[in-house]
Amino acid sequence: MNRCRHPFRVSALTALVLGLVSAGELRAQSAAPPAPSPDPPGEMNALRKEIQDLKDQVRALQEKVAALATAAPPTVATPPPEPAPPSVPLPAAAASAPARSQNLLNPAISAVFQAIGSSSLKRKDDLNGFDLSEAEVALQSVVDPYAKVDMFFSFPSDASPDVEEGYVTTLALPGSMQLKGGRFKEAFGKWNTLHTHAFPTVDRPDALVNFFGEESLTNDGMSLSVLIPNPKNLYIDSITEVGTAREGTAFNSQARSLTWVEHLSAFFTPSPSGNLELGLTAAFGRTGPSGALTQAIDACGSCGPLTPRSSLASRVQGLDVTYKWRPPRMNVYRSLLWQTEVLRSHRDLEVLTPALTLDSSSVSSLGGYTYLEWQWTKRWRAGARYDLSGFPDSRRARLWAASAVLKFQASEFQEIRFQIKHTQRNDEAASRFNGEADDNRVFFEWIPVIGAHGAHKF
Amino acid sequence: MKYSRRFLALAAVTTLWALAPHSDALHAAPARTRVVASLPNLGSIAAAIGGDRIDLTTIAVGTQDAHFVDPKPSFMVKLRSADLLLINGLDLEVGWIPPITQGARNAKILQGAAGYIDCSTGVQVMEIPSSLSRAEGDVHPYGNPHYLTDPLNAEVVAGTIAEALKRADPASADAFEEGRKAFVKRLHESLFGKELVDLVGAVKLAREARAGTLDAFLDGTSIGGATLRTRLGGWLGKMQAVRGKPVVTYHKDYTYFAARFGMNVVDYVEPKPGIQPSAKHLEDLVGRLKQGEAHVIITRPFVEHRSTDYLAQKTGVTAIILPTEVGGAPQATDFFTLFDFVTGQTVQAFTGPAPGAGG
Repeated sequence: MNRCRHPFRVSALTALVLGLVSAGELRAQSAAPPAPSPDPPGEMNALRKEIQDLKDQVRALQEKVAALATAAPPTVATPPPEPAPPSVPLPAAAASAPARSQNLLNPAISAVFQAIGSSSLKRKDDLNGFDLSEAEVALQSVVDPYAKVDMFFSFPSDASPDVEEGYVTTLALPGSMQLKGGRFKEAFGKWNTLHTHAFPTVDRPDALVNFFGEESLTNDGMSLSVLIPNPKNLYIDSITEVGTAREGTAFNSQARSLTWVEHLSAFFTPSPSGNLELGLTAAFGRTGPSGALTQAIDACGSCGPLTPRSSLASRVQGLDVTYKWRPPRMNVYRSLLWQTEVLRSHRDLEVLTPALTLDSSSVSSLGGYTYLEWQWTKRWRAGARYDLSGFPDSRRARLWAASAVLKFQASEFQEIRFQIKHTQRNDEAASRFNGEADDNRVFFEWIPVIGAHGAHKF
Repeated sequence: MKYSRRFLALAAVTTLWALAPHSDALHAAPARTRVVASLPNLGSIAAAIGGDRIDLTTIAVGTQDAHFVDPKPSFMVKLRSADLLLINGLDLEVGWIPPITQGARNAKILQGAAGYIDCSTGVQVMEIPSSLSRAEGDVHPYGNPHYLTDPLNAEVVAGTIAEALKRADPASADAFEEGRKAFVKRLHESLFGKELVDLVGAVKLAREARAGTLDAFLDGTSIGGATLRTRLGGWLGKMQAVRGKPVVTYHKDYTYFAARFGMNVVDYVEPKPGIQPSAKHLEDLVGRLKQGEAHVIITRPFVEHRSTDYLAQKTGVTAIILPTEVGGAPQATDFFTLFDFVTGQTVQAFTGPAPGAGG
């Protein structure tokens, strides 16, 4: 901060300088050629009075400076070096200096929750009804000139409170590097890194659910991001991450093992309004037995003792393309977003054979989504998403889904969404959903944000 | 294992490439101080002071709402090698400066570092809220951040920028000081008129203006039987035609402008800062405007114009689009032409044919 650290001294100095300058002006004016001559009596009296006023002010200020010099050192806190939370601290006029200083040193605090109503139009199921699906409390602050911390606590309605993310990020490493450590959503494509309230639609794309589970692919580990120099001075980022996967289908080995992720992204601005981002991701690690195998063994009365392998090789590759059109002049009113991700999973798999033995093989599967959103006024947006996905532990299971979403933004801190989704599954996929080959589901979601919530990535 | 090795090799190659010595050659440091300005007005002032001794990049464009600039990754690249970052401050850029500075991996321009220059330092801030609640809309906790709509505040900003440039490049300190003086001299002459500045002195005039006593001084001081007001020129002289006139503005970004030029802001098109006008609020405004509470509405280049067009159509008031930043209109090519244009448009709205809000 380039702020004055002792306002009183500067004020005194300023007054002194102004007094001297004013006196200088007057001398210059008195020495100047006579024409044009101001009204002598009125002007001179006014100037004399002003000089006397300034002298009085200087005298008073000198007395205060002398008093300060003999007094104890001032206890006024210096401005803190951390980024000021956007809206939490009290204004200068409303708080004493020590209290203000303490408030400014607090992290930025915010809370977000999603109230979701969901209902199937075809059948009654456990998902029907309203639910405060998740509340999130975030604390964000710089630690010192070298690092910042982001903490996100999650309070899901159907599970215990948890640290959704908590990581420290360096700010001053050389070589355009940034190191991150802790628990964080893996840099796998675009959607995986988003918090639930920042999803473009109410629900997560099916491919991400099938490949990574109901939650994002999240690791406890380390991440190194490097901006790659290039002659065009483009933003090209290489992120290498290693950690222990917490949940998910693709990486959830029962044996504690490491998951590696490499994400390479490039950002282009083909026009002042257009923004294009391309990304490639590769992840590999270990996974455990499939849910289908576990169920089959549990249901098998005539099987002998079978011990499926707890650690099987798994890897997932991804391609993401995002195009955002936001005209600078009207970027609050008009925008277009097109985002597509394609994922390919290849993993080792054990299955129960008709001879009631375990057989190992490999299985590849594909999944992805494409999402298009149009904003035509400040408050309204509409979008459509198409999902097509296999399952990482099955060669034949497939589903596709089409969604339409309408979003109303009362302000930048409150959004209401309506979504309708049609899902179609083949027989093998339907067997994973109580035999339901299709479904039509409607969603309602209300997302308010309070406090100083940090800006999301572009 | 083959896949693992390929993966690790890729990660190692990208990291080594970034760290390799030739990476510096791709961004060879120019001899000039690399300055990034968040907003065009700051860029224009910096350009006037630094001239060809600085390498200047501006992030936002003049037709853009400074509250809502997208924090694009490409801005991080611009900031990566910057020596100085000039920001407006007072939380105007709170939605986009923190993410791009923290993503730029440049310790020199992080908040608290020597290269992070908050240009609101030393400015007399207006409208500091006594209590904070988002029920009042998008309030700025440190006060109204649109202080550069008062051109006199550019003198303070020029001082802040010049000092930062001197620290970054001490060898060019004299040149920067000359640049600052030339900018301030031109600013004073543009604001008060050259004749009055030569007669009274710029320091005296600026001091009276800041203290809010300029009118009393001009009216209370006579030369050859005529008050100094008759010698007032520049933007203030031009804007005497609108002194005391009531006006409605779209947002609170003309507060400093109205205070400097003596206009009376009676209401806003936004019911609260950042909140879209409701039909009820517009109807209320229609009623008040029909009663003659104001005859001019000032709106911004980057907001919807349906509301102001509606008000103009219903009540016959004149709606004008005034840029607040350099580049906000084709005529506003630097800080001086910005105020030439803005004051000209304002006077024309009150005295001439209606320009209309338009598209």
